[in-house]
Amino acid sequence: MGSLGGISLDQLRENVAIAFDALRVSKLRSGLTILGVVIGVSTVMTMATIVQGVRDQILNTIQAAGPTTFYVIKVFSTTPVNPDNPPKWIRIRPDLSAEEADRIAQLPQIGYAGIWAQIQLRLEYQGVRTQLISGFGADDRYQEMQGGELAEGRWFTKSEMRSGAPVVVIQEVQARRIFGRIDPIGKTIQAGGRPVQVVGLYQPPANIFAPPGQEVGAVMPYQFVLHGYHIDKTNALFICIKPKPGVTVADAMDAVTIEMRSIRKLRPADHDNFDLMSQDQILDTFTSITDIFFLVMLVLASVALMVGGIGVMAIMMVSVTARTREIGVRKALGATRRDILLQFLIEAATLTGIGGVLGIVVGLTAGRGVTALMNIEAKTPVGLTLLAVAVSVAIGLIFGVIPARRAARMDPVEALRYE
Amino acid sequence: MSPQTDDVALSTTAERKVVVQSAGAQPDKDWVIVTRGLKREYDMGGEIVRALQGVDLAIRKNEYVAIMGPSGSGKSTLMNLIGCLDTPNGGEYWLSGQLVSTMKDDELARVRNKEIGFVFQTFNLLPRATALHNVELPLVYAGVGSAERKERAMEALTKVQLGDRAMHRPNELSGGQRQRVAIARALVNRPAILLADEPTGNLDSTTSEEIMRVFETLANTGQTVIMVTHEPDIAAHARRVVVLRDGKIASDERNQKVTSSLGL
Repeated sequence: MGSLGGISLDQLRENVAIAFDALRVSKLRSGLTILGVVIGVSTVMTMATIVQGVRDQILNTIQAAGPTTFYVIKVFSTTPVNPDNPPKWIRIRPDLSAEEADRIAQLPQIGYAGIWAQIQLRLEYQGVRTQLISGFGADDRYQEMQGGELAEGRWFTKSEMRSGAPVVVIQEVQARRIFGRIDPIGKTIQAGGRPVQVVGLYQPPANIFAPPGQEVGAVMPYQFVLHGYHIDKTNALFICIKPKPGVTVADAMDAVTIEMRSIRKLRPADHDNFDLMSQDQILDTFTSITDIFFLVMLVLASVALMVGGIGVMAIMMVSVTARTREIGVRKALGATRRDILLQFLIEAATLTGIGGVLGIVVGLTAGRGVTALMNIEAKTPVGLTLLAVAVSVAIGLIFGVIPARRAARMDPVEALRYE
Repeated sequence: MSPQTDDVALSTTAERKVVVQSAGAQPDKDWVIVTRGLKREYDMGGEIVRALQGVDLAIRKNEYVAIMGPSGSGKSTLMNLIGCLDTPNGGEYWLSGQLVSTMKDDELARVRNKEIGFVFQTFNLLPRATALHNVELPLVYAGVGSAERKERAMEALTKVQLGDRAMHRPNELSGGQRQRVAIARALVNRPAILLADEPTGNLDSTTSEEIMRVFETLANTGQTVIMVTHEPDIAAHARRVVVLRDGKIASDERNQKVTSSLGL
């Protein structure tokens, strides 16, 4: 006979069978009892599936755009800085400039460096408008850096970029929205209230993580955006950099740091008055946000599990009382305190274990539903699934202790006399 | 009945006296049960109830004993003590050569499992379990493996002529069949004593006779049987009748009726 921490497998099987039997008898009661556990577990599983899906998507995007791309920004912060009233240590930092980007581009380690600006705008053609979308002031190598492809037309010419010509490459989806069947190329549209000429249609890479409204819908020459729009120079201006092949990100970042310090004439004792942000850091930032998210979910789930656990305790108390006579008989037939304790602990654990499994099924299904709506692929968080089962069973064992002990300590004479 | 069994079963009163008087000494292995000055008191809300006031009782292997007495005589208390469900306040209780009166809860559970087969008035079968599984229960607590358990439970059910009802639940069985399942359950662990508490109390007279015949057969094949009852006709089946009154043994005699009927 095999053994599992002092319980024989035979005993375990016997007790699980008893537990299932007891559950069958009172399906509704058992169902209500495990509701808390189901809710707790399904909440965590739903969130985990979504976060996992989003995270995978970000990793994919980074993979697509090149994991070596990094950025120089005015200030690296997980939350946007209020540009109208930045704290002093940010205020004294100079804004990034095109000249700095050009200097960095000339470094031997660097393959590409360009200054980009992000703005929010609407596109309008003959009265048809898009939602508020995200636009970039960039250059003709935008597609090389961000992936995707040109569906129609062309990117900017060098002279258009230098002069800041009012031209735009718009996302194919946005173009269809405002033009319908009309060919957009060569047409003049209103972009954020300014007339610009559409020169190309661009399709972002499939698979890219972009919630609705966050997609880049329009790309214009940086010089045009810089002079034509109000730019939040603290948060929305950055230099996009890609090292030459064979140069590590760390080496390239070192070279950029040195160059920036020399451009800004910083003395050795001065702190950097700019920040670098690599893909790893972006991922870290995302992780730290999702971690907080997870923590909140975990607290909520714990409350649900606690409620579920107390429910299980209450119902087990009822069950123990209702089965006093059975306990008496079992004791008369030779069940020790430990046998009875185990019987009711296993019953409670089976109850919450079933709750956990139901919660996982519900959570995974809900998670898949949400990720499908977000158009991202969901993966089953295997580790968490196993953990959820373990936690559910543990809840049963913990909250089952008091009723099980009550059962185990019953006096056989009294129990046999119980009506 | 063979004269040999007769001899063993019917020990003399004098002999029993010798056994019970040598306090603290382990009795001869032929004596299944020996109690010396057994006392049990209950505290009923400040009032002390002396349920047993020093009971000396010795029962040999293969005896078939009825314990009688009016309600309040202490016969239930004595049964609980003999059945190791309860512990005495005073005196000694030796069961199969072991001093059980000083044992703790879990030791008593093991003794119950190994030495005692209970038959209750209300059968006390688990309602959701099959007859076979009910009979298996003592073996589960004895740690017997699943295959052997099934085999032995089946054997015990066959012994009480219920081999063909093994997969029935108690509510699909008649009262007499239920009590026979309970007897099979009591016997499956080959206990030293079969302890029956009003075994026919919930049965009609025909079924009662049927159950008594099962007891008779068991007693004839060497099983020690102790039966607590207040019905004289049921007690009449036993070979020895112990009568309790006010927590003491009032009489302890060979059953003349049985012995005379055996003579036929």
